[in-house]
Amino acid sequence: MTPQNQILLIPKIERGFVIDHIPAGLGIQVMALIGRWPELEDAVVTLGLNYKSTRMGRKDMIKLQAGSLPPRLLQMLALVSPGVTIKHIDNFEVIEKVVIQVPELFDNLARCLNPNCITNAEPHVATRFRRVESGSRNFRCAHCERVCTLDELAGHIKV
Amino acid sequence: MKKDLVSIDDLALESILDYLDLAARVESMSGAEKASLLPGRILATLFFEPSTRTRLSFEAAMCRLGGRVIGFSEAAASSTAKGESFSDTIRTVEQYADIVAVRHPKEGTARLAAEISRVPIINAGDGANQHPTQTLLDLYTIRKFFGRVDGLKIALVGDLKYSRTIHSLCRALLLFEGVSMTLVSPETLRLPKYLMKAAAAATATFRESDSLAAALRECDLVYMTRIQKERFPDLVDYEKVKDSYRLDARMLEGVPGHFKVLHPLPRVNEISPDVDSTPHAGYFEQARNGMIMRQAIILDLLDARPGRSAT
Repeated sequence: MTPQNQILLIPKIERGFVIDHIPAGLGIQVMALIGRWPELEDAVVTLGLNYKSTRMGRKDMIKLQAGSLPPRLLQMLALVSPGVTIKHIDNFEVIEKVVIQVPELFDNLARCLNPNCITNAEPHVATRFRRVESGSRNFRCAHCERVCTLDELAGHIKV
Repeated sequence: MKKDLVSIDDLALESILDYLDLAARVESMSGAEKASLLPGRILATLFFEPSTRTRLSFEAAMCRLGGRVIGFSEAAASSTAKGESFSDTIRTVEQYADIVAVRHPKEGTARLAAEISRVPIINAGDGANQHPTQTLLDLYTIRKFFGRVDGLKIALVGDLKYSRTIHSLCRALLLFEGVSMTLVSPETLRLPKYLMKAAAAATATFRESDSLAAALRECDLVYMTRIQKERFPDLVDYEKVKDSYRLDARMLEGVPGHFKVLHPLPRVNEISPDVDSTPHAGYFEQARNGMIMRQAIILDLLDARPGRSAT
């Protein structure tokens, strides 16, 4: 499939955001996250799955015709799919491009994996997970101090 | 700014040494001097699970500093039994007390209390996570017996896998220079690998051994812990190992005069009562040091160190 054919399958958008370089298979999970935001309810969303990518082999991609992206959605993307590229589109042109990195802190985005952590007994308590050390994909719960991987945390996103 | 003591990992070596020095200073004071330090101050001891030494030593520490104590010694005696959240209990108690010591079976409770409370929080044990006052009193005891912590050869014996006391002590010992730790435990209760790895970045070393007798010959002190029957899925395995880690006076024949036996207590049968009368038994003095170290901690967190006017 040529790049031009791909454009036919996911047309260019005039205004909005492209979430690119989503690892193949995670596109649906990212769509589910987007569905949590009432302010994005009216946005036209296009989902493309399993595109060829020179960098990744295969990738998913989402185009969102919306005026802005909620900051908390970006934080959740960093948890579920770090490394994705967010392109801000205006008048069919990319005006800004950022790569979502693994942050040093996840603030109240996920539940602790430790069932005996007080944050699971008192769910109103805001959780915090700090990166164990720079470059690591391991995070420590600020409350019970249990260490878990980024993938484990991604499986415990707060509803 | 309010200070808390939640996790031994929050303390740099300088802060640990500062606590050891402060405890020594408190110990050298007369009873009357100590009793004048915290008049009118109130410590709340919130023990959501049973404890003898920790709770009583906190209470004795505060009483001997001239302060008073309020609190409860089991969850059933608190409003938790009526369904009150832990957060609400803390928000209520901070209205009555100047400082709070909390023990709770859930991990992370002390950190949460510290976030909520405007008065200092002391972690008196949160589930399997941390027990920092125990670690500080252990280090104080070791330094009192040996005059130093650096360079000591320490055998850690028993349940090294689940014991929060051992985990916290290991992490603190890694901060000192050249401490050599010999780990003696059943195969199923070995020290977690992540703690072993932490030694790579320190000058301390770990060595695993199956023989308590060999460790006694090679070390300056032995830190015993209880092997808990409930940790063994198969009780036959427990029966096999339970006496391999039992220390008696006969085994201590031939150890150097300075050799000490420590234990966080309660003991069950891992230290025979005949060890008590040997010059090597250090565990009851260790329990006494618990009160002294907790006095130092309370004074520090209330910004009421001796020689400084209390605020």
